[in-house]
Amino acid sequence: MKIRAINIIGEGELATKLKELVSKADFKVIASELTGDYARQAADVDLVLEVAPEDIAVKKRVFKSCDAKCGKETILATTTANPWVTQLAKATKRPEKVIGLNFTKNPFEEKYLVQIVRGLQTSDETIQAVKEFLGKVGVTAVKLEENPGFILDRVIASIVNEAAVMYSSKLATKGDIDSMMKVCVNWPMGPFEFADTIGVDKVVEILESMSQQLGPRYQPCFLLRKMVDAGWLGKKTGRGFYLYS
Amino acid sequence: MNFENIGGMKMEVKKIAVLGAGIMGHGIAQVCAQAGYQVNLRDTKDEFVETGISKIRKFLGGSVERQRMTQAEADAILGRIKGMTDLKEAVKDVDIVIEAIVEDINIKKGVYKELDQICRPDTIFASNTSAQSITEMAMATKRPDKFIGMHWFNPPQLMRGIEVITHDKTSKETLDIMVGLCKKLGKEPGICKDSPGFIVNRLIQIWYNEGLNMFDEGIAEPQDIDTALKVAYNFRMGPFELRDMVGLDVALASTGTQYRELMREQFRPPRCLIMKVKAGDLGRKTGRGFYEYKSER
Repeated sequence: MKIRAINIIGEGELATKLKELVSKADFKVIASELTGDYARQAADVDLVLEVAPEDIAVKKRVFKSCDAKCGKETILATTTANPWVTQLAKATKRPEKVIGLNFTKNPFEEKYLVQIVRGLQTSDETIQAVKEFLGKVGVTAVKLEENPGFILDRVIASIVNEAAVMYSSKLATKGDIDSMMKVCVNWPMGPFEFADTIGVDKVVEILESMSQQLGPRYQPCFLLRKMVDAGWLGKKTGRGFYLYS
Repeated sequence: MNFENIGGMKMEVKKIAVLGAGIMGHGIAQVCAQAGYQVNLRDTKDEFVETGISKIRKFLGGSVERQRMTQAEADAILGRIKGMTDLKEAVKDVDIVIEAIVEDINIKKGVYKELDQICRPDTIFASNTSAQSITEMAMATKRPDKFIGMHWFNPPQLMRGIEVITHDKTSKETLDIMVGLCKKLGKEPGICKDSPGFIVNRLIQIWYNEGLNMFDEGIAEPQDIDTALKVAYNFRMGPFELRDMVGLDVALASTGTQYRELMREQFRPPRCLIMKVKAGDLGRKTGRGFYEYKSER
């Protein structure tokens, strides 16, 4: 199965970026909006890339409509950061052709990492086809089994949570914790800088999802919850662990 | 840095003793001498002292070759370092003792008991431990207010961060002097209360364990986990690569210590690490760990 034509469904920054990325690689790209007749526009493509808001009901609707209109071979991919691939597959009659392609933007450079998320029913052929596709697009991809937090969110949310425990128990200041991780073991950012970049609300969401599925050791530190209550969500609100002007 | 305390007493650090001329000790002595301090470098045997000093000479020689310093500067630095085996002589008249001996709490406590009796009463004791309790060592002396942790990273000549570890009885003056010393050495201090793993080894353990646990849980392969962290966030190495580099036996020992002391699930040694060590696959040094290193052997 070769991917030649792609339909990117959704609005927003990521959708725009993806259109740009894929167009550069010489694929036929159709951009659809969620308010339009996206399923009909998706009828003749090889890959549907859903970039809808993080709302499972909205995403299920997209998958269901596309499943009804697309050719039998079309792969349906979600960009969700949530472990919803298997759930979305259930909204279709082609569970083996449903897959997750989660794009993470590198905060330092203009590049992306793709996490290829394999749902319970995703076939090897589907994985192979998206791997080839991503290779032509020129982005680095890694593969994982569907699981809360995927690879990146799980690691980053966990270090933020432990750092928040250390800071709220007054072992060290947040500035010293961040700087030591950078100068002693060459981390690109300290844990609190990661939190402010990703969003404290998002960190709490990831931790909650992980603590439900993987156990209480992922329960968010109470400091993080208080910060969400106070609206200190990070760079996007001007204040998180640090102040931004 | 302001070295004055409320009483107007002034402690200016001039002379430092470094105990232990091994991997950390010789590097620490070099950094101190480079910053202009007189250094007594002491180890238990002449050959250990000589090895340490010859490593310093080699390092400085390299710096001269790369034109980072002149031969005269290198000579002056070496001239400030005195190697010796006699403990009494080494700590006579020093303002700070930096201890970088073997990581054994009983040996360390024994040395501190002796130091407490032979050192000037105002001499500060700084331990370069990464794993032992500062509080426990401080209580082996009659000067817990002058006891502090000074955790360097390997190699000391190049790594810029130093964790400064306080315990309940460390005085403000001792802390101020230590922070001032770190800055004079050109290092960046981070202050942390005495606790297992301090800042860096505790947080990096979480990073390692989450990575390794995902492999244990069948979620992803080491290479995919390493690549994800490097490409998405610019970590220089992934957890599996770094574990292989440091050595899986060393990794298992440090994870085990933290798990026992912090008693939290997050620190439990991952199964894959235990099994690799059982199998004798200890990382780069044995040619195989999470990855294969055939060509490098």
